[in-house]
Amino acid sequence: MSIFEFARRYAALFLGAALAPLAAGCVTVRPEQRAILADPVMQFQGDPREAAQRQHVLENREGSFGGSSVQGGGCGCN
Amino acid sequence: MRPSPDPRRAAGIRRSGNNLSAIRSGFLALTFAAAALLYAPVASGQAVELDSRVTFFHEPAKGSTMTVFTPSTDLTARPWNFLTVTGGWEADIVSGASERVKTGPLSRAGPDAITGASIKDVRHIGRGSVTVRRDASELRAGGSVSVENDYKSNSFNASARTDLFQHSTQLEIAYARNWDTVCDLAHAANTDATLRQPLDNSTGCFQPSSTTRSEVPIRTDAFQLTWSQAWTPVLTTQLVYTGQLQSGLLSDPYRAVSLSPGGQYAQEHHPENRARQAVAVRGAYYVRPLKGAVRAGVRGYRDTWHIWSGTVELEAEKYLFPWLRLRATGRYYRQSEALFWSDDYTGGEPQYGPRGQYWSGDRELSPFSSYLAGARLIGTWSAGERRIIGIFEGLQGGVGLDVLFYSYSDFTLGGRAPSDTTAYIGSLSFTALF
Repeated sequence: MSIFEFARRYAALFLGAALAPLAAGCVTVRPEQRAILADPVMQFQGDPREAAQRQHVLENREGSFGGSSVQGGGCGCN
Repeated sequence: MRPSPDPRRAAGIRRSGNNLSAIRSGFLALTFAAAALLYAPVASGQAVELDSRVTFFHEPAKGSTMTVFTPSTDLTARPWNFLTVTGGWEADIVSGASERVKTGPLSRAGPDAITGASIKDVRHIGRGSVTVRRDASELRAGGSVSVENDYKSNSFNASARTDLFQHSTQLEIAYARNWDTVCDLAHAANTDATLRQPLDNSTGCFQPSSTTRSEVPIRTDAFQLTWSQAWTPVLTTQLVYTGQLQSGLLSDPYRAVSLSPGGQYAQEHHPENRARQAVAVRGAYYVRPLKGAVRAGVRGYRDTWHIWSGTVELEAEKYLFPWLRLRATGRYYRQSEALFWSDDYTGGEPQYGPRGQYWSGDRELSPFSSYLAGARLIGTWSAGERRIIGIFEGLQGGVGLDVLFYSYSDFTLGGRAPSDTTAYIGSLSFTALF
């Protein structure tokens, strides 16, 4: 499957994902209320480099991939 | 992006040599980051972050222990408020042993057909990125070069992010492309897959004069859409879609699989294309009485090799002191087998026997589940009016340990359950802000 076939097959999914955030437009957290949201304990990947190294270990031992980051080079599959 | 089908969990390998191009790339990226700072006008929001860390992976087992040290150093410079330049180097220093021929419970040769052999290898990675920020938007482009004795990888990645609705909504789109090359035996074009023998070592790999080795490309495209949403001052969620397309040699050139009761074996043979998709949903909630947050996430995955998997992750992180945080992590993972998976290709249907035109000895393609439990301590110190010991604007140190347990329901080595089903991941990190 080429990248273009893949994009065509899942176009509806991409469109839905792109439009869904608009539904959140009625929910806003004002800047002065964002102190806790900016705290390190509220970050999904508290330490992105640590998370990337752990993800590398896990992906080399599992048949799956995705959901975190798409950066990085290939293999080092030990 | 790391192509997962483990083209290197290999047997009978002793690999050594230089990886100068990746070291040069890392050095170049670090120099670039430093130069970006030096050439910037003074007093325009300069900041430099130096991050050094080492990760230690240990998987004890009878005859196939694996140990990997992963040191890394990254330098991030922010010469102007709108620009961030990062350069870094990382290495994987591997020592251990692995099985060479995968046999199943019906093998007459029994477990003796499985020979473990030493593995020694070093992978160097050079990487860099440039990020441009303006108001509520951010553009990022980066790349990496990595070299091992039998694998080369060049990657490019780019992402765009924007904030909407008073920064309550954040959208990001990311793309990455890998141009990889893996070393293989120089098979004649008309050699049937059942007659192909595995690579025995990396001697001669990537040497133009070699007539016994070939270079096989692997191409990977990955893209990701991320929607992060703050719903209340203490609740935020994230929805992530990832797609990946792989093509090329997606099997381990070193691994062989027993194909007949008489003991004939052939190089592992996987499909040359794979399309993979994952959707992840996460949430983080701040619990005021605990002075900390709980985070939960689930991920669903499927691919064109018919692997389905699910992941559940729970984390809690709280302040023990204003400068010290404790994070506890738990993770459960479960996957189905690939369509062509069999623990033994030598017998008859339904349980054992051939699965079409492909065969695999890769436990990552078998059905299994895993558990992870871990903890991490993170200390953070920020300078007040005076820099810390006159030098640092901020310091951060971390120490962590994760323990992984694997449970294989249909993977054996000659009928015996594998013994390398527990692994330890330790990490030490140090980050300084100047």
